[in-house]
Amino acid sequence: MLNIAKLSVSAAGRTLLHEVSFSVAASEMLCVIGESGAGKSTLLKGLMGLMPCRYERFEHRSSAEESAFATTSGLGLPACRYVMQDPLAALNPKRSLGQSICESLYTQKLPAPEQRNRALSALEAVELPVEFYDRLPKEVSLGQAQRACLARALVAEPELIIFDEPLSALDALVQKKIALKMDQLRREIGITYIVVTHDLGFAAAYADRILLLRNGRMETFQDKGDFFANPASAYASDLVGAAQTLGALNRMEAAE
Amino acid sequence: MSMSLSNPNVKQTIPAMPGTWTLMVFALTLGAGMLMTPYDPTQADFLNRLATPSALHWFGTDHLGRDIATRVLYGSFWSLGLSLGVVSIGAAIGTIVGLVAAQNGRWVDMILMRTTDSFFAFPELISAVTIAGLFGPSTMNLVLALIVVSWMKFARLVRSLAISVVQQDYILQARLNGLPAWRVLWQHNLPNILPGVFVLWTNSWSRTILAISGLSFLGFGVQPPNAEWGAMLLDGKAYLLTAPHIMIFPGLAVLFAVLTINLTGDRWRDRLADNI
Amino acid sequence: MNALLTRLGGLVTVLFGISFITFAVTHFAPGDKALAIAQARYPGEMGFDAEILEGIRDEFHLDRPFISQYLHWLVDFLTGDFGRSYSSHSKVWDIFAGNLEETFSLAITALTLGLAAAFLLAGLAVWRKGSLIDRFAILLASVGAAIPSFWLSILLILLFSAHLGWLPAYGTGTLAQLVLPTVTLAFWVMSSQTRLLRSFLLEAYDQPFVETLRLRSVSEREIFFSHVLRHALSPALTMIGLDLAGLIEGAVIVEIIFARSGLGSLLAGSVLARDLPVVVFLVMFFALTYVLINTVIDLVQTFTDPRHLAGERNAV
Repeated sequence: MLNIAKLSVSAAGRTLLHEVSFSVAASEMLCVIGESGAGKSTLLKGLMGLMPCRYERFEHRSSAEESAFATTSGLGLPACRYVMQDPLAALNPKRSLGQSICESLYTQKLPAPEQRNRALSALEAVELPVEFYDRLPKEVSLGQAQRACLARALVAEPELIIFDEPLSALDALVQKKIALKMDQLRREIGITYIVVTHDLGFAAAYADRILLLRNGRMETFQDKGDFFANPASAYASDLVGAAQTLGALNRMEAAE
Repeated sequence: MSMSLSNPNVKQTIPAMPGTWTLMVFALTLGAGMLMTPYDPTQADFLNRLATPSALHWFGTDHLGRDIATRVLYGSFWSLGLSLGVVSIGAAIGTIVGLVAAQNGRWVDMILMRTTDSFFAFPELISAVTIAGLFGPSTMNLVLALIVVSWMKFARLVRSLAISVVQQDYILQARLNGLPAWRVLWQHNLPNILPGVFVLWTNSWSRTILAISGLSFLGFGVQPPNAEWGAMLLDGKAYLLTAPHIMIFPGLAVLFAVLTINLTGDRWRDRLADNI
Repeated sequence: MNALLTRLGGLVTVLFGISFITFAVTHFAPGDKALAIAQARYPGEMGFDAEILEGIRDEFHLDRPFISQYLHWLVDFLTGDFGRSYSSHSKVWDIFAGNLEETFSLAITALTLGLAAAFLLAGLAVWRKGSLIDRFAILLASVGAAIPSFWLSILLILLFSAHLGWLPAYGTGTLAQLVLPTVTLAFWVMSSQTRLLRSFLLEAYDQPFVETLRLRSVSEREIFFSHVLRHALSPALTMIGLDLAGLIEGAVIVEIIFARSGLGSLLAGSVLARDLPVVVFLVMFFALTYVLINTVIDLVQTFTDPRHLAGERNAV
């Protein structure tokens, strides 16, 4: 589905992320983990097309693009939607949830009733009542707002959804519910997920592949099973060990 | 009794603050009054000069026998209408400057904000006196002078609001969703900026009413025989000792108009703060 | 350090901006400047020969391009040469210095009186929050902000000069003539500060240390005078500083109303007589005073609270 080799992201002439390679197959979930400052959000901005990128190979679906370190203004993935960390910042406080969801369909130029119908079924898919279409962000709970953000991503029927710490603003109980919902939708509809997170427990429970970043470089890129069974680097095994001590992995696996 | 001071909220202690309705009743009274008065605001009646308030002339007559009540009513057109125009134009200019500065950043921002700072250094009334005086005292020059001194507050406010809005994730989402720039501005930036501008707008409106009447009273604004409240006071100044009633009502009108707008603005501001 | 340099650069830019705006406004005002100078120089005469006007244009460099005239004036201004009045031929600086004291004494007296009243009123309002005194203080502040100062002065004249005959209405010189203008201006100071002071005091009472002091059974009087008041003083001083520019402006307007000599009457007279050197200097003086006051407040805040250094300069 997505296969990127030696991706570097730079800003103002400085390279912030060095030669990261990873791939994710259709309807798989890739978790990008690492401590703060590791380059997670830089990778995200590169993928969003907000920062200039260089890469050796960039395959997206069937279309492959190969170049010897071509410089682009950004990748700007087609058929992709985004879910941000803080749902209240990601939703315009002056617009209803329905309006925000419909905005995701802007480039598809659908007639208004059609847009509304699709927004309503997206609300249904994330288990929000239809009357939430006319609610303002401040009138719903944080978890409900994040569900609306998920609906906004789903309504465009994307092949890929990129999440930026989608759970870290939420309470533990709500975290679990939304994580389960995300996982269920991915399996049912067959969307590919890239999830940036610092929550190793979440990655252990739901990811197919794990990309570990450290200090702006790629540390490891492994299947989930391999990553937790025999981590490819000392740093990765420290990380897994620490998480096991804290019981984070068991907790999330129990949730599943 | 010990001082119990848990809530510093001013709102509670203000008795029955007038809101939008008061403003509308105020406007309707003015309109109805202008339609119903039997007098002409500029028609002199020399047999009735300097008459004290009576059933026929509620506020009395001035030195030319003109009905003061009628002139106060018509004066609202000058004081309220003119200031409304001045503030709206100033707000529009300031909003555009602030938006452009926030959107472009770097050099454009620096140049525009230093220009704003420079204009800010001139005290409002002093610049208005100077401009209106040098360019010739007239209504038009008064309006120009007041616009020149009124836009900077809006530019600063809009810039700071716009910068904080631009950093919000919903703007990024809109761009990632492929919305064109003008649509992002219209649907996302402006709706989150304009409420703040509106509060400043009511505040500036009342200040401008004070400025227009003050400058007219000093002879730098609307000229007699136009029935502007400040100009009426200037007209009556010579009769201060013989017919003091001339000086009372136009001043009361200014006081009442400014007080109403200020209190309404306070109410709107509180309501807006609740909404955010 | 870097932030300080940036700010200094901004300050210099703003000063240039001020000088440019001032000069441009006076330069592009309608009317023949040579004629204005001639009329001021030879009062009583109406028609002037073309040669006289030509001579004046030459003398004052009036036929040079705008930028050249501006730079010429700016260099003079920076080197302390503020020119001479068209009408009286005295040095602008001397005229200014002669009028400064009147305005200054009016402003300082009014500031002292107004602040004393504001502190008293705000203190009483906070002492009995929600009581009649509190409501009265808020009402007075609201009305004070809405009352046109020129109208207030008329009312004062009507009452104290016309009706009671206690005080003279117009003029300068005696102490009695200072009373009504001072009261007018002091009322403005009081109404603009009472409400702010009240909220600063209430905020100070909200601080956790007040409860601690009460638990240690410190008397209410001591809490107010040695803790709360001190806590509220810092924001209050900032607001008062910001209002100083407004005070000078108010003084100018009040002077014109009461026909007192001082900077206000000087400005109004010079504007109407098109005595441009005086006008330019006065406008520059008011603008520079504003910038000076703001810079001082800014610096004081920076040195008392280092967090301000990184923050925005212009708090809205």
